[in-house]
Amino acid sequence: MSSLPQTIVRPEFETDGLGAADHGDVARRLTLYERISNMDSVRKFSILLVFMVAWEMYTRISGVSHFMLPKFSDTAASLFTAVLNENLLIMVWNSLTILITGYAIGLGIAALLTTAAIMTRFGSDLLSTLTAMLNPLPAIALLPLALLWFGLGAESIVFTLLHSVIWPVALNAHTGFMGVSETQRMVGRNYGLKGLTYVIKLLIPAAFPSILMGMKIGWAFAWRTLIAAELVFGGSISDTAETESGGLGWFIFSNQMDMQIPHVFAGLFTVIVVGIVVENVIFTNLEIRTVRRWGMQSS
Amino acid sequence: MNTTAKNLPELVIRPEFENTDIKDAHTGDIAVELSAFEKVWNINGVRKAVILLGLMVTWQVYTVALDVEPLMFPTFLIAAERLIVDLFTGTLIFKIWFSVKVLLIGYSAGMAIAAVLVLWATASRLGSDFIATATAMFNPLPAIAMLPLAMLWFGLGTASLVFVLIHSVLWAVALNTHSGFKNVTETLKMIGENYGLRGVPFVCKVLVPAAFPSILSGMKVGWAFAWRTLIGAELVFGASSGSGGLGWYIFESSQNIETEGVFAGLFMVILIGIVVENVVFRNVELKTVYRWGMQR
Repeated sequence: MSSLPQTIVRPEFETDGLGAADHGDVARRLTLYERISNMDSVRKFSILLVFMVAWEMYTRISGVSHFMLPKFSDTAASLFTAVLNENLLIMVWNSLTILITGYAIGLGIAALLTTAAIMTRFGSDLLSTLTAMLNPLPAIALLPLALLWFGLGAESIVFTLLHSVIWPVALNAHTGFMGVSETQRMVGRNYGLKGLTYVIKLLIPAAFPSILMGMKIGWAFAWRTLIAAELVFGGSISDTAETESGGLGWFIFSNQMDMQIPHVFAGLFTVIVVGIVVENVIFTNLEIRTVRRWGMQSS
Repeated sequence: MNTTAKNLPELVIRPEFENTDIKDAHTGDIAVELSAFEKVWNINGVRKAVILLGLMVTWQVYTVALDVEPLMFPTFLIAAERLIVDLFTGTLIFKIWFSVKVLLIGYSAGMAIAAVLVLWATASRLGSDFIATATAMFNPLPAIAMLPLAMLWFGLGTASLVFVLIHSVLWAVALNTHSGFKNVTETLKMIGENYGLRGVPFVCKVLVPAAFPSILSGMKVGWAFAWRTLIGAELVFGASSGSGGLGWYIFESSQNIETEGVFAGLFMVILIGIVVENVVFRNVELKTVYRWGMQR
């Protein structure tokens, strides 16, 4: 008791110097500028615009060699001509067909592996060993082997794509299935669901957020692998493939070899556009129709 | 009211009855000592080791029994021997060090730039808009596609590799950190302001710990992209910068049709990946988010 500091009681006092309270403007109409700049898309669009103008000004004023950094206007023009005259869209389509083939087969194999893993303990052990081992292995490192086994052609790329899709999808789906709550499982069993119907009607919807996450990671890896594979070995592959024009990665690589730098930038723009479309249109729509509608994930 | 009652089926009340045939309950063995085999088999590590061993044996038996052309698919023992020989007597260890060094430089530079960008984004609306636009644009762009440009701007060498690595780390980390910061609850932020934290101390002491799970997941995604990009980039032109890296080792072996060398390189890539993911990141997780009780 004695070791406690003594409490100090300050005397009461009243301040007379306070004026009347002044709140400033509590509510006022925003000016037109403020209202416009409060719109999200306007601000983002103007950032893009500033970026483009800065690029154009920089290249014009500093006189940087157009082999190093072409003018923005040149880049836009060559994107236009590439789409109109040089079959850029067909090349995009070639890349996408390979991507979709690899992605679909990969999803199928991942589904098989995961089903085996939730049915038996051996399957689960096998899957976790394989994913732990093969998930950190970049798929592109398998390309030299694939070229040896399947020769130059679409098969080799599909093989590497399979590898880049299967492991992230299987890993995420498996952890998703493991995390389904016991209550939901018991409800399913109570309804008499068994075997495949149990998996399709109960486990998949319950684990959908993490399945979707796996699919997104798988897509990101597959897209990166595809572009890399086409960049590295695209020339040799497109020489032998039935399609004459090769893929998008090959478009970038061959134009870089020909020092057509505006075309390289045009290729990069196309890669960005395809990526944005897949991520923000396809996957976002899938999310809105499934996990957000089911209330499993907010915004 | 009456009409609905009419439509209902009539209730059937079953008579009460007692089942006399039921015998005493018999509950089998509730607790049995497991056999030695079952006890060993229940250990997770043992089962996984057996699976690994099984894979190796299958590989060895398949290649030996079917007499597969070793240039296409060497036996497991040859590949393992090549790995050990190259690791201890050859230059493989220097190639690994070269790759890891480039990766570390690129990764830390990317993290630093991401930190600056995110700081700017927390400080002003312009920064926040900028980061949202830039990540939306550059995140879907595979870093490896920048390689031709990087080679043009920085020449063949480490600088190009680092540029591409920065690109692969920066956007993933910035995106995750920024969205993590935005999701920090208002309560935590107000507590921070109440303590008088502002600016950088506010970010370091409140926002970063509160958003650490998503920062960490950004770092993991960034690592995965960077590792893939590095191996891909080295496959193309690793040799030009002196000794070359692990990706170059794989490419060189495949060009010389030394397939066992390709497998040895792949083993090393897997090993490094496992070490980084299961040792480095796992430990960071254990010491931070698990310890703080944010993730189980």
